[in-house]
Amino acid sequence: MENDKNSQKIVDYIQNFARKHSLFVLAYGTGCGAIEIPATMTSRYDAERFGIRGAATPRQADVLLITGYLSTKTLKRVIRVYEQMQEPKYVIGFGSCTINGGMYYDSYNTINGLDQYLPVDVYINGCMPRPEAVISGFVKLQELIMAGKANNGEKYRENLEHYRSNQKKIIKNWKMPDYNW
Amino acid sequence: MVREKETTLYLGPQHPGITGNMMVKLKVQGDTVVSASTHVGYLHRAFEKLIERRNWIQAFTLLCRFCVPEPDPMELTYARAVEELDNREVPERAKYIRVIVMELARMQSFMLWYAGQSGSAGLYLTPQWSVGDRNYILDLFEDLTGGRIYHMYIWPGGVRRDLPKGWTDKTLRTMDYIEKRLDEYNKILFDNTIFQKRAQGVGIVPKDKAIEWGVVGPVLRGTGIRSDVRIDEPYEVYDKIDFDIPTQEGGDVWARALVRKEEVRQSIRIIRQAIADMPEGEYYNKVSNPMKWTVPAGQAWARTESVRGEIGFHVTSDGGNKPYRVHVKGAAYTHGVTVLEKILPGQNIADVSFILNSLGVCPPEIER
Amino acid sequence: MTDLLKENKLLDAITTSFKIEGKVIRDHRVEVNADKNTVSSILLFVKNQLGYIHLAHMTCVDWIDQGEYEMIYTVYSPVDKITLFVKARIDREKPIMENIDTIWDQANTYEREMREMFGIEFPGLIGEHDFILEDWDQIPPMRKEFDTHKYAAETFFTRPGREDAKDVREEINKRSGAKVPDFAKKYSRE
Repeated sequence: MENDKNSQKIVDYIQNFARKHSLFVLAYGTGCGAIEIPATMTSRYDAERFGIRGAATPRQADVLLITGYLSTKTLKRVIRVYEQMQEPKYVIGFGSCTINGGMYYDSYNTINGLDQYLPVDVYINGCMPRPEAVISGFVKLQELIMAGKANNGEKYRENLEHYRSNQKKIIKNWKMPDYNW
Repeated sequence: MVREKETTLYLGPQHPGITGNMMVKLKVQGDTVVSASTHVGYLHRAFEKLIERRNWIQAFTLLCRFCVPEPDPMELTYARAVEELDNREVPERAKYIRVIVMELARMQSFMLWYAGQSGSAGLYLTPQWSVGDRNYILDLFEDLTGGRIYHMYIWPGGVRRDLPKGWTDKTLRTMDYIEKRLDEYNKILFDNTIFQKRAQGVGIVPKDKAIEWGVVGPVLRGTGIRSDVRIDEPYEVYDKIDFDIPTQEGGDVWARALVRKEEVRQSIRIIRQAIADMPEGEYYNKVSNPMKWTVPAGQAWARTESVRGEIGFHVTSDGGNKPYRVHVKGAAYTHGVTVLEKILPGQNIADVSFILNSLGVCPPEIER
Repeated sequence: MTDLLKENKLLDAITTSFKIEGKVIRDHRVEVNADKNTVSSILLFVKNQLGYIHLAHMTCVDWIDQGEYEMIYTVYSPVDKITLFVKARIDREKPIMENIDTIWDQANTYEREMREMFGIEFPGLIGEHDFILEDWDQIPPMRKEFDTHKYAAETFFTRPGREDAKDVREEINKRSGAKVPDFAKKYSRE
């Protein structure tokens, strides 16, 4: 049964309103930015009043927070974790290392920009970003969700060949399961 | 008769109980660990290769990121090694300021340790209190250096800028507040029967083999051996300040927690004495042209006491304006690989994360 | 001034037993230069007889102009509070060094890392080959002839405008078409 346009708008509004107020962040500290996450989640900068809390496994999480640089060994695990999360899912790039490589631009083990391997919704810049900057990044993600523009899970699914060829250039020993959604 | 099969369990990179980003591969039988092996390399940035491409002064922007929860001892040890090679004197006022910065870094790292240790035992009130109070110390750092976590404040020759007006009064008020709060932490953590029963008799490090295995810091003081770089080889002005080194017998998680509890009070004592005794004067022995500074050839080894144990820097120079080789040894290098693999067999699976927090394993230090 | 009695006593004890050279650098620091085949006997001697029970550090320096690796072992005595450096040189093209795993257990970690980063062979060393890097197929990365910037630029995608060592003010002004103001000229590279 298809909804007509007006009822679809009401359904979308309620759905997006509920999604933006309960964002579960996966408990995975991938790089040096993980030191500002305990400060954001505890009593002074309280992120739980926005509905943000931690989740233990990828099947229960909405947001993947890539805190800082990624080495090639971690990239393989992050791709596997991202493919285990269920839609709708969002990726936030934290720190200047996800934007253009940061201060490790000439290192043989860290990647130089996250956009080529995973679709990113919001970037937060800084080294480290303050807890107030982290919360403002989440507020921007909430605005994108409300406007209906945060569906990068579909974008990953449609451009899977493009992302896979980029990932396979870096990760040489590719023994991972196929993406099945 | 029940036959139990041996299974492999990956306490992997994505786990809420791991301090950072590393993997511990366990072979378990029922509920007991039979053997363990550590896999690191998820955070390798090739620091030592990158430092060879930068100047002596540019290198110290990279050094803070070696050990993420406590960046200041790395800067201090590098500065002392370069000053030894270059034969550079440090003014008295700068030495007192360095001691205050080191003790404040030690205190904020302990507050983070409280959060990790009690969080892995299931007591979630302590992180909310202690990480909330840690923000007051990070406010002090922000007034002094401009950044909360990575300061880049101590460099060869002194410190970068002088204390702002009114900073010492604010520090003394913060110390009074934190001293009152430490008594409240006792009530919820150390006098708590749950924590006592979980921590006593778990993760024992034997006293006769400790130094051979490479154990340093509060873990060594928890086995009964009195050893601390601040009294063995005093650096800066630690020989003029009066403080105690707490030790405990037993070598289990409970003894190490008691040692760390006392050390915070000693840090407050050191800061109060240093503020009272600080002289006026210069804060920096100026290098004339930092971007073109060359250091005479030679090798130097400097060690300091950080929150986890002994940090050592081995610096080699060939007379040019870039470091030839810098090799860093943190305390977690031996604690995280050798000691962990030796004390885990025989423990419960639920205690693995508890022991990791108590040994102070910090993966960025292991693989740099 | 300290009289360096303990340091000189230690130096005499080692140099007379092993017929090698060394010197006292300053208080708390002594170094000896050994041949690569006698390093493990010297370390056993200082550990069992003289009380140097703490292996503080083990490192390797790549002297590419002289064609040698220099291995440096740092040991410490908690009673005398002296740090002793035992140095040895090995050939750079085919580096083989003794395994001191049986003297100190923690040396296993240092040697696995050096096998991966410098390509040094330690006969009798057990442990998985990949310690830090995964699926690495180039030369050992800490050797001086490995150019890390070139490798990173070829393998990873670099965003435009991120080339090495450019003057930030000049580049921004070139893009927006403005001139560098006078007060900022003294910080310029020219």
